[in-house]
Amino acid sequence: MAIRHGFMPGCSLPSYSPENIEKTIAYLRGVYPELSVVQKCCGKPTKSLGQVDLLQERFGSLIADIKDCKVDEMLVACQNCYNMLRESDAFTTISLWERMPQIGLPQEVRGKATNSDVVFSIHDSCPVRDNHAIHDGIRWIMQELGYKTAEPERTRDKARCCGFGGMIVPVNPELAKKVMGRRVQEMPTQHVVVYCAACRSSMLMGGAKAWHILDLIWGPVVSQSSQPPENVLASPVKAWVNRYKSKGVIARSIK
Amino acid sequence: MAVQFAEKVYSLAKEIAEDCQGLEAPFCVAECPMHTDALGYIRHIREGKLEEAVRSIREKLFLPGTLGRICAHPCEKACRRETEFKQPLAIAALKRYAADKADREELWDVSVGADTGKRVAVVGSGPAGAQAAIDLRKAGHKVTIYDRLPVRGGMLRVGIPAYRLPHKVLDFEYSYLDRLGISFQLGVEVGKSVTLDTLRAQYDAVILAHGAHLGIVPPVNGGGSGGVTNAVEFLREIAFTEKCAVMGTNVLVIGGGDVAMDCARSALRAGAEKARIVCLENECALPASRHEQEAAIAEGVQFDYGWCVEEIVRENGRPVSVRLKDCLSLWDETGKFNPVLGSETSMATCDTIIYAIGQRVDDISRGQLPQKAGGRYVVDPDTLATDLGGVFVAGDAAGSTIAVEAMALGRKAALSADRYLRGQSLTEGRNFKLERSYKTEYDVPVPEGTEDLARHHSELVDAAVRRTNFLECDRGFDENAANKEASRCLECECKECMQECLMLNEFTACPGELFSIFLAKEQVDAIVPYSCNLCNQCTLVCPKEFKLADAFMSMRKDFVRANKGKSPLKGHGAIDIHQKLSFSRVFTIKRKGRE
Ligand SMILES: Cc1cc2nc3c(=O)[nH]c(=O)nc-3n(C[C@H](O)[C@H](O)[C@H](O)COP(=O)(O)OP(=O)(O)OC[C@H]3O[C@@H](n4cnc5c(N)ncnc54)[C@H](O)[C@@H]3O)c2cc1C
Repeated sequence: MAIRHGFMPGCSLPSYSPENIEKTIAYLRGVYPELSVVQKCCGKPTKSLGQVDLLQERFGSLIADIKDCKVDEMLVACQNCYNMLRESDAFTTISLWERMPQIGLPQEVRGKATNSDVVFSIHDSCPVRDNHAIHDGIRWIMQELGYKTAEPERTRDKARCCGFGGMIVPVNPELAKKVMGRRVQEMPTQHVVVYCAACRSSMLMGGAKAWHILDLIWGPVVSQSSQPPENVLASPVKAWVNRYKSKGVIARSIK
Repeated sequence: MAVQFAEKVYSLAKEIAEDCQGLEAPFCVAECPMHTDALGYIRHIREGKLEEAVRSIREKLFLPGTLGRICAHPCEKACRRETEFKQPLAIAALKRYAADKADREELWDVSVGADTGKRVAVVGSGPAGAQAAIDLRKAGHKVTIYDRLPVRGGMLRVGIPAYRLPHKVLDFEYSYLDRLGISFQLGVEVGKSVTLDTLRAQYDAVILAHGAHLGIVPPVNGGGSGGVTNAVEFLREIAFTEKCAVMGTNVLVIGGGDVAMDCARSALRAGAEKARIVCLENECALPASRHEQEAAIAEGVQFDYGWCVEEIVRENGRPVSVRLKDCLSLWDETGKFNPVLGSETSMATCDTIIYAIGQRVDDISRGQLPQKAGGRYVVDPDTLATDLGGVFVAGDAAGSTIAVEAMALGRKAALSADRYLRGQSLTEGRNFKLERSYKTEYDVPVPEGTEDLARHHSELVDAAVRRTNFLECDRGFDENAANKEASRCLECECKECMQECLMLNEFTACPGELFSIFLAKEQVDAIVPYSCNLCNQCTLVCPKEFKLADAFMSMRKDFVRANKGKSPLKGHGAIDIHQKLSFSRVFTIKRKGRE
């Protein structure tokens, strides 16, 4: 029997950009016509707070959703989801960034940024420090797009946290701000590419110009004069409106 | 909110509290019997903060300029640049540099504790007695130091020659004792003009720190009358007069240690035409430190290695030569000092013989205190207490052989005496390990790519000039050399996670401290575990790979359990709402792809 694929965008990405969700689903459906999509949280924030019982219940409801869709292999765009879902053996979990090099980028985006004058510093997501295939995937994508990249001193398996981790922002915001600022300081260039929407928000708070890698794949070519998309996640209202829109996008994409 | 923490939290905390190296002393500091913060003051020197450096040295040592010149610096043997590259930091010379450049009376901490009404007599004004007096005075006791000599400083003043340690450096540093209000009875010999019993009757406690001032002279044929002396008496006379009345012009010093070097070099300065050292050891096994030996050779001291003096030949009562026998080995199979002589003989001319083969401790208790090898008193090694109530022994009289060790014993005796005076247990709650030189647990590997940089040396006055007088011969570091030397320090302390994690810096000096406090209180402020990014960056850099995030995460769970399933911190209300919505029907969707 053929493998059934699923896609899970997570929380911060749909809150950030329904457009990216829409285009990513379309791209994946081009490769996996039977694609299922689940928009729900993986429960990482609940876990981080230490709410063991609540987590079990919430995580259980997510796994049930995925099982309902009869998914064998789940593609995830969020690194926390990646780690969380890998705890379940009901299906396999793979990062979108690891998969993209395997299935290739659409012809129309390849090499699109060859003439860009921007050098992007890569900020890796710290929860997947051990996963080299993800790091490689990101660099492959950047190269395919034609962007030049630079690495901070602490990168890949030594990547520093963006400052968002551990749910410290609401309880120790000054500290979080310092951590964000320090991470940005480390970046060799002003422009930063991330592959987590929460990291992007942190990089912006720390003073960098930051883009999500999906912005670079699906959006306009970035040049020195481009401004990064606004920090949507800093505004709860906009973020929830987007999350709701993303839900609509999914409903429309998969009928 | 009192939280009951799970066993997992405690076991992680214990592991971290016990094995974290964050508070482990660097090699040099652990090795120093006084635990002077060499790493700290060397850092100050490198940063050009010389007053800070002096302040830091003075927290442990009242004699920075003195020890900077003459300390036998066991720290340098322990220095990582020694164990790795055989080129230790010039720690002592850096100390001297800081002291020479920046020590001023205004920096001295002359505060003393509230008067306890107790009185203590200290016998001996050497480094041990002085240190004991300082500590007892600071604890609020009245202290009187007795010394049979008219000068203060013990062997630092009447043993070590002035060309190594100028009297004015020592005298200036000893004036600290006057500033503290310590009294002196100079020219009073305890055991003669005043007995130990009298002191015990007049004072509440007595510290014996009268050093080892009996020069050893073995029975040798022809040794009986004039022209023969010993290092203690010779150097004492030199210290007072820069001369030696019994000395002729052709001096033979017997012994191979630093004291022998001091004698031979002093003899030249006091007018001897020739100075020759005869020792049992062969050249490479000479106990003297290399720089002393080299300096002596440069000044014209001659060496006869591997010889034993068999007989002193006299004419008209005056020595004219010695008969030597070759020495085949020094130690027997059991490791005991047991020289084996050969059959070869040789003669060496001389008119004066100075024995520099060791010093003994005199018994000033009139037989009340048992003594062991070298006359050292039998004492409790942890407390330095004797069988006589209120009598403690310090310094060389208790077994030290170098000044900084003598000071550590002075401090130890003072600690015991203070407890005795307050009617407290001499031992309870004391960490004896920290009262002496110890091996640090610090074992972070040397950073990769660490270069072997050459040690800097200070300049010596030209040998031909310096051998004619008792002026100081080591010029000390200039600023450039001091800065360069200071920057060779490898800073052997584990601050890996503290350099990495901003959060830890908000709450502690190192995880070991944080978790020790947690274990002691069995509580922690919720903001601590909830400020961790759970990013494991600390684990990445930790030589022990401690999982602090796991410990904090476990603590969080216990906080939630104790708080009806919620985080105890208000700010997390926003996360609660976020999570509710993220799982709510309104914002979630599942869409199954076609079968
Ligand atoms: C020649 C020589 C060179 C040395 N060089 C070094 C060196 O370079 N570096 C180093 O670290 N160490 C050196 N040492 C060792 C160091 O000097 C001693 O370890 C240290 O001074 C011992 O200190 P102390 O206080 O126990 O005794 P001491 O310094 O010996 O002081 C004892 C004091 O007690 C007094 N005294 C003795 N008997 C009586 C009595 N009955 N009544 C009253 N007072 C009395 C003495 O006059 C003396 O002042 C050297 C020793 C000698 C002999």
